[in-house]
Amino acid sequence: MALLARFDTPDSLRDLPLGSPFYDNWHNFIDVRLQPATAGSGGGEFYDPTETNVNVIAEHSLTWMGFPRDLMVATNRDNRRAAFTAGENRDVQEEYCEWNVWRNRAGKITKVIFVTETPEYWEQMWAVDRPTVVALYRTLVSPAVVEADLHSGGVYNRRNSWNTTNGIVHFIQTINTLGAALGLAQGSVNSGAARDNYEANPGPTTSVDPRVQMDIGTLSRRGLSVTLREPIGLYIAGYDDTGWTKPNGAPVDNYWRVVRGSPGRILRLEYEVPSSAGFVVGDIRIGGRPIEWGGQIAEHVTCTIAGVAGWRAR
Amino acid sequence: MKSKDQNTTPVPEDGLKPIKPLEISIKQKVLDQQFTKVLVDVGELQLKLPKGVMIPSLGTEFGADVPGVEPEPVYGARARANIQGNKIPGFNKDHQHFLFFKLGNLKRAKQWLHWIAPLISSMEDVLAFVRAHRAMRVRLGVKEPPMCATWVNIAFSNAAIRALVSRADAEAFGDQSFRQGLAARSTYLGDPTRRRHPGNVRNWLVGGPRREADILVIVAADDPEDLVTIVDSIKGRARSAGLRLLFEQRGDTLPGALRGHEHFGFKDGISQPGVRGRVSSAPGDYITPRYIDPSDPRARFFAKPGQLLIWPGQFLLGEPRQHTEHLYNSAAAATNFPRWAALGSYVVCRRLRQDVPAFWRFAIGVATALGIPAQQFASMLVGRWPSGAPIMRTPATDNAALAGDDWANNHFIFDDDTRPSTLVPIPGYPGDSFAQASADVLGAVCPHFAHIRKANPRDVPTDLGKPHDSLLRMILRRGIPFGKPIVGIKRPPLRLLKQERGLMFLCYGSTIEDQFEFLTRRWANSPIQPNFGGHDPIIGQRDTRGNRVRFIDVPTPGGTRRVNIKNEWVVPTGGGYFFSPPIGAITSVLGA
Repeated sequence: MALLARFDTPDSLRDLPLGSPFYDNWHNFIDVRLQPATAGSGGGEFYDPTETNVNVIAEHSLTWMGFPRDLMVATNRDNRRAAFTAGENRDVQEEYCEWNVWRNRAGKITKVIFVTETPEYWEQMWAVDRPTVVALYRTLVSPAVVEADLHSGGVYNRRNSWNTTNGIVHFIQTINTLGAALGLAQGSVNSGAARDNYEANPGPTTSVDPRVQMDIGTLSRRGLSVTLREPIGLYIAGYDDTGWTKPNGAPVDNYWRVVRGSPGRILRLEYEVPSSAGFVVGDIRIGGRPIEWGGQIAEHVTCTIAGVAGWRAR
Repeated sequence: MKSKDQNTTPVPEDGLKPIKPLEISIKQKVLDQQFTKVLVDVGELQLKLPKGVMIPSLGTEFGADVPGVEPEPVYGARARANIQGNKIPGFNKDHQHFLFFKLGNLKRAKQWLHWIAPLISSMEDVLAFVRAHRAMRVRLGVKEPPMCATWVNIAFSNAAIRALVSRADAEAFGDQSFRQGLAARSTYLGDPTRRRHPGNVRNWLVGGPRREADILVIVAADDPEDLVTIVDSIKGRARSAGLRLLFEQRGDTLPGALRGHEHFGFKDGISQPGVRGRVSSAPGDYITPRYIDPSDPRARFFAKPGQLLIWPGQFLLGEPRQHTEHLYNSAAAATNFPRWAALGSYVVCRRLRQDVPAFWRFAIGVATALGIPAQQFASMLVGRWPSGAPIMRTPATDNAALAGDDWANNHFIFDDDTRPSTLVPIPGYPGDSFAQASADVLGAVCPHFAHIRKANPRDVPTDLGKPHDSLLRMILRRGIPFGKPIVGIKRPPLRLLKQERGLMFLCYGSTIEDQFEFLTRRWANSPIQPNFGGHDPIIGQRDTRGNRVRFIDVPTPGGTRRVNIKNEWVVPTGGGYFFSPPIGAITSVLGA
């Protein structure tokens, strides 16, 4: 298999014109974070597909729940209300999935937006094409966005108001970054002396970290060369609204909207009931329970990152 | 004439990416011939049990204490007499009868509770029998020694607790799903939303709107006549007490070599969690016999090869629970229930109708397209061969000797090569000499959709992270088939084919939401959890705005091919969520 020529953007997004230096910058951003090869347990390795030639024999997509596991297990899952209440704060949404909730005057949820976009992507765009970034913010969040809102002293502000208090565009939680995800994946090839997953116990209480660590560690123990599948990105794999009902008890219609990304590689997902329906998200029941928090929906949003594995080409 | 399944790629309504479908085309005549053959073949299998193995009646010989593991709680005579016996250790009788009652006059109902309370079989009763039975089996050298017992257990809905005790007590149960009841959660479990569908909750025989049972009585017996006698007695006394019998269901294990199998023909109930806890403080006297030698580090979390040890609080309210991050440490006991409910458990009952011809015709059709025997493909759907032998250990053919070896038939993991366990000396047991399972992280041997891989991912990390979390999902399954079988019958007459058959699914746990419902909705019903690969083709239910098509992504030498599943062979037709109280509370609280 030939070497990969260039790392692509998540879901091959083309927010900037082809030919923009952004695409080379994006490639470089990933490339410098990956070692040509990182040796792992069992003779396996994590490799940079632009530098190391591997005959890929398999793909493996890892999935995890969008809602933070840590909040649930804090009470041994005895207090779901407490977990959902705490989960509305994006600073604890640490599973590479963040969401914002909109409510009406009655306090009922009217819309929830989920994102899996990393801040680095937006910073790289900002570095070469500020007007496009502003235009995207205006499309995604509000026509009221102006360039000055998005930076301080020329440096892109990840926590600008249109990505925090007034909206959501990309991750803000401190460890929800592509850099962290790449580091996690790369470091996961080494599972120490563990011979199986019962002998390997990664510390984190999240869903995503042990998932990545153990899946990649397992492949490495098989002696396989492992890397992330192009286009590298953190995605929403799917959502499940079965058993959700309208106020009249009928199954909900399809109120999901994939705004950025594509099926299986969703980057921005909105859940909102059209005004013509005569009710709002907060009137929907999941298994008979009214939706009071965005986290109740996040429980049914599944995130993914995909890997490939193979043998070194000779 | 050809039976052609277009198997078209559905437009994803769940954000998933479509995969190229498998073309399925088979002549009707061939399908019919193969179906007849499969029914006979499956019925002819015989387990080969290891011979000459000497298991003593008491557990102490197989229960060496393992250094470095927290002491486990002792369930002394008083506790054992208070815990209902069908959850621990389980009735496991060939004949059972389920009675679903609606409360009438409360005063008379309470009097009936006082009448039935002494009949309730405790953990003490059942455990004593199990141990004596085990001893007798060895002494006589037969599989089924002539010993008989008849047992009764009882459970109450949340509405019944509200009526019999108080609203406050009913609301004090922390499991919200129990408070809601099964009918309210039915479509959340993937049950049909269309009103005309036989599996829609409104069409259930019991458990649907206005047909929700207040009390579930389970009667079990070795002798069918004994069963009838006590069932009649309970029904008669109930009638006199003003209880209305909403529904009743007789269950029987399948006859002959198919004993312990469900109606599709597969051995059921092989993999059960091992409940931690001691019967006495005598060294090694555990509820679940321990067969792993303490020198093997896995003795800390396995009772025998493949049987994970689970802290009892996962099944008994108020007892130490399984730690969320650790394989063998305990976590604090739950406190979110009325004090009188300690040592009780939640019960899920689902009456599941099975369409055996639909299942096998599907399996034959796909197997033909893949060019493999139907039994082999059907075994990929289940994850075990009809005998119960795991395909992880015998991928190409069934193996009756492996299936009959309780120390081998559940010993495998998925992600890494399975290493042999070191067992304590078991007189007469030659050891597990079958080929060990090789790593199957990609699901090429036991696909990710396989029922046993969905319901029990073992060592595989999941959408909830480390496999340690999966230990918290385990349930005690106590189901039994109902209806007459057609597997084993060469040409079942139309009259027999048309008869209803299925499984009375019953399970116990300390939370319905995080155990039964989690396993059902999050894993069995999901095509991408705990791993990509499709829905559980055995128990998975899916209803996306009335569309009930499921799919599996079948690994083939030429790559993954998607197979849509349009027919349904497991249809819910009744059930309920109940609470199995400690026996003492039946009179002192519920009957007070």
